[in-house]
Amino acid sequence: MKPEPILQFRGLRKFLANRWLLDISELSISAGQCMILSGDNGVGKTTLLKIMAGLEPPDAGEVAYGGKVLPLRTAPQHYRDNIVYLHQSPYLFDCSVIDNVAYGLRRLRMPRAAVQAKVAEVLEWAGLEHLGKRNAKYLSGGEKQRVALARARVLAPKVLLLDEPIASMDYKSRERTYVLIERLKKEGMGVVITSHELYAVLPLADVHMYLHDGKLHDEHQHNTAAQMSSLITTENRHNV
Amino acid sequence: MDNLLGASREALLLLVSGDPSLWTIVGISFSVSLKAILLTAPVALLIAFLLAHARFPGRRALITLFQTLLAFPAVVVGLTLYLLLSRSGPFGDLRLLFTQTAMVIGQMVLCFPILVAMGHSAIQAADRRAWETAITLGARPARAMLTLMHEVRFGLMAAVIAGFGRIIAEVGCSLMVGGNILNHTRNITTAIALETTKGQFAEGIALGLVLLVLALLLNFALMLLQGRGVMHS
Repeated sequence: MKPEPILQFRGLRKFLANRWLLDISELSISAGQCMILSGDNGVGKTTLLKIMAGLEPPDAGEVAYGGKVLPLRTAPQHYRDNIVYLHQSPYLFDCSVIDNVAYGLRRLRMPRAAVQAKVAEVLEWAGLEHLGKRNAKYLSGGEKQRVALARARVLAPKVLLLDEPIASMDYKSRERTYVLIERLKKEGMGVVITSHELYAVLPLADVHMYLHDGKLHDEHQHNTAAQMSSLITTENRHNV
Repeated sequence: MDNLLGASREALLLLVSGDPSLWTIVGISFSVSLKAILLTAPVALLIAFLLAHARFPGRRALITLFQTLLAFPAVVVGLTLYLLLSRSGPFGDLRLLFTQTAMVIGQMVLCFPILVAMGHSAIQAADRRAWETAITLGARPARAMLTLMHEVRFGLMAAVIAGFGRIIAEVGCSLMVGGNILNHTRNITTAIALETTKGQFAEGIALGLVLLVLALLLNFALMLLQGRGVMHS
């Protein structure tokens, strides 16, 4: 049985630079599902992710969250707390790794001890315990990506939107990031990934959509990750 | 030259001996200018944020207006306020003319465009991802705004220091709306102007030294802060 979608868009349209950049009849993401979104440069992948995250408004369309249709203009207010978007090059605030990870928790007015415990747990999850007190701005690209994933995971969102999460990374950083995304998926999070390096992310995919001329094309369904060859061995994935 | 050296020596003696009238003048200067900058900064920086972040008709015209007001002469601000606060003016009943409150208002008007224009430049240069990241992590717009301001805090501090430098050193507005009344509205710059006309250069130089030391301390503090805010790769 097909799982109930968490977030669903119908008739989604976005007009940009004198053309309909996006004209998508239907798009949905379910719990534990990983969708790979591919397409040429400038086709609107990032714009689509930002619309899904509620960071950019669409010009037309219908949004349903948790099965409930929401007004287009106010929809992000209803689901923004459960959807986290990560930029291609994640932005980390000019403070320690701990403060970065705790940022989203502090707005929830959680007790300090609870915040500390959650942050410690997620830093361990991401293998970042040793970097907790370092200023996040001075980390390497791979470390920044892992901090950003930890900062997202600590909020336990239902959907995670990753824009080119492994771009410009060395092999080891890519491998570690891959493993974290795989864990998030296993924890039941819906994940949408845009990437040009399909060989590296397709093993994660349940659905592969190709964006072209503003329209989404279903490339093919992936029932198991094993269908695609991967540069990452199973053994390595457990050694992060 | 002998005059200058003699006056400078006398000025240092006045400062070191803790001359009460001199230090009262210094105290009034600091009190008025600090009140003005502290009252203006929150509102001006909020407007700077809105100009940098929000999109509304007339935004560009407003930015140009604030940038133009940077060159607004202090004496014109003083004259305008004088006319508004004088007995026959629309706010004459408030009896604010020749008070420290009038001086604070004048200095607020003077530093407002500096804070808005420089604050706008700093916020506009901020990385847009900072705002988007704060929002996607669940921050409400007010919290996201504070986060963004924290990210560009060095630029905002430079704006505040520049604004403070402008008002602590201005003379025209304070003279017109303050009236240069001893122990009441006489500040460093109006006192220097007065002592110079009287030919008493020592006190003028002493007060000038205080202003110079203050400027040096402000710039040193700014340098320290900016030194911490190094560029990130």
